[in-house]
Amino acid sequence: MTSPAVMIEARGVEKWYPNGFHALRGVDLSVHQGEVVVIMGPSGSGKSTFLRTFNALEDFQQGAITVDGITLSDDLGHIDAIRREVGMVFQQFNLFPHLSVLENLTLAPVLVRKLPKPAVERRALELLDRVGIAEQAHKYPGQLSGGQQQRVAIARSLCMEPRIMLFDEPTSALDPEMVQEVLEVMQGLARDGMTMVVVTHEVRFARQVAHRVVLMDAGVVVEIAPPDRFFSNPQHERSRQFLRQIG
Amino acid sequence: MAAPPPATLRPGPVQWLRRELFGSRLDGLISIALISFLLAAALGLARWALFQAQWAVISANSTLFAVGRYPLEQQWRLWLLSALLALATGLSWGLLRALPRSGPPPTLWPRNDRWAVAILVVLALWLPLALQLTLAIQLRWWASTALLLLARWAAGRWGQTLSPLARRLIPLIWPLLYLVGMVLISGGLGLVQVAPSDWGGLLLTLLMASFAILLCFPLGVLLALGRRSELPVLRWGSVLYIEFIRGAPLITLLFLGQNILGFLLPGGLAPDRVWRAAWVLTFFAAAYVAEAVRSGLAAVPSGQLEAARSLGLSMPFALIHVVLPQALRVALPTTVGQFISLLQDTTLLSLIGLLDLLGTARTVMANPAFLGRNAEVYLVLAVLFWCCCAALGLGSRALETRLNPNLAASR
Repeated sequence: MTSPAVMIEARGVEKWYPNGFHALRGVDLSVHQGEVVVIMGPSGSGKSTFLRTFNALEDFQQGAITVDGITLSDDLGHIDAIRREVGMVFQQFNLFPHLSVLENLTLAPVLVRKLPKPAVERRALELLDRVGIAEQAHKYPGQLSGGQQQRVAIARSLCMEPRIMLFDEPTSALDPEMVQEVLEVMQGLARDGMTMVVVTHEVRFARQVAHRVVLMDAGVVVEIAPPDRFFSNPQHERSRQFLRQIG
Repeated sequence: MAAPPPATLRPGPVQWLRRELFGSRLDGLISIALISFLLAAALGLARWALFQAQWAVISANSTLFAVGRYPLEQQWRLWLLSALLALATGLSWGLLRALPRSGPPPTLWPRNDRWAVAILVVLALWLPLALQLTLAIQLRWWASTALLLLARWAAGRWGQTLSPLARRLIPLIWPLLYLVGMVLISGGLGLVQVAPSDWGGLLLTLLMASFAILLCFPLGVLLALGRRSELPVLRWGSVLYIEFIRGAPLITLLFLGQNILGFLLPGGLAPDRVWRAAWVLTFFAAAYVAEAVRSGLAAVPSGQLEAARSLGLSMPFALIHVVLPQALRVALPTTVGQFISLLQDTTLLSLIGLLDLLGTARTVMANPAFLGRNAEVYLVLAVLFWCCCAALGLGSRALETRLNPNLAASR
């Protein structure tokens, strides 16, 4: 039996912030192709920081991270190569407010992948249709609701045809009634076999979609388990405590 | 069906006056006092301008005020440049109207434009007469205005039929025109050289200001980026430069520039006195533009750069396509404010002996034939500067509206 390829491999990652705060204390994680990994944990546990090291938005001082066969190093060429293959969705959407929705999607493929604009636009419209907002293509981000903006942000990342998608609390800034529409898009992505690492507090999403759940606390990985075992029978006292807190 | 707005939202003029000026007894008193004071001042000014002032000092020296000692037989070059400028202005004006950034194009002549046309026509008819210019020059004046209006009309009428490529190429006529203008003014390429020391008046003022404005902007953006750079050498260099320039008065730097550039550069390479001053103005304004741009950069959330970088955009691409467009829009009003004070600062050139508008005015007033005519000269100077600054301000506001995605989309 051949196991699927390893897409992300983090070994002993240590990070100190410039103010001396020890944010990551020797974190290990492997993510396989087509796998959905949900990272949970209390705020300040280092889960977002850890996620952001995967595409070098955060640096780290010790340990090693390999993404899609490319080892993260100070080499800027490597970093750009990794960022082309890894999509990122932010809590605050971070759409470009001076560009229309369509231009938000086409900017990077045209500039970075040097693809012809008409082809990219066709693909962008398909993606917008897939996330259910094709009719908003010519509006500006400021005219959309939070849920719509986050779906545009997902489509923008997908337009680069990434092999891995990272989500940094994608629903935390949304009004409750808009959370579902974003989660459904992410669920669809998972069904299509996208490799995903998701930092979130959405227990239902973790239960239904994740292959494995990671609990982080104070810069270390406390527990890694499939969702059914993690939520019904956590092995560690810290996990039980966390699950009680989010109730 | 929307309900009609209540009547109080759209008051008639009398109601408006009553509400805004005479809302209470105190308001009424203040309004009456202010209005009578303004009326008295306006009356006094009008009486002086119509009966006491002797405008001959202006009409007799109009050429001097316009171009200084630019040789008479070469002035056709400046008229040609004026005609080209009129053409380009009319073209751009019409295209801006015909191709709004979003939404349907408005009518061919919106109300503001009709006002502008009326003012232009009145100026074209009245000014040459008031200045008692010769018929030949009057004709050139009328021709330039007619050219402007014709271009405005044609571009407004047929702007939408232009191909996308042409639309993208047309803004390039401005830099091109600047180069052509430089050749026309200074000579070369078969034209007789006219030395910078012969340029003067409004010509010199506008030339210095536009040169400095055009060059200080990119320089200022680079300095602002340098100030936020992660490379210490770049950062400290930029900080040092900006703080040094902002700590020194412009007039000091102008004198310094006249003296020091001669020592710094080997003989022959040192630019002429006029160009030395132009470069000092540019370097001076760049420091202030840099501060305006820095505040704009600070207004762009860090998530924007992160999003751009995580899409794989290189740092230059992320800056050019994501960060700078947003930062410059925020910095635009302050930057244009800098441009306006730069235009006014060109009057300091008269103190280092250049014959800009103010310098020319001082030589005219020193002429015994026009002794005591200072008020007339200064008033005209003030009006001229006001017109130039108002044009800059109007342009910046139009640009601001055009660049604001929320405004543009909700129109």
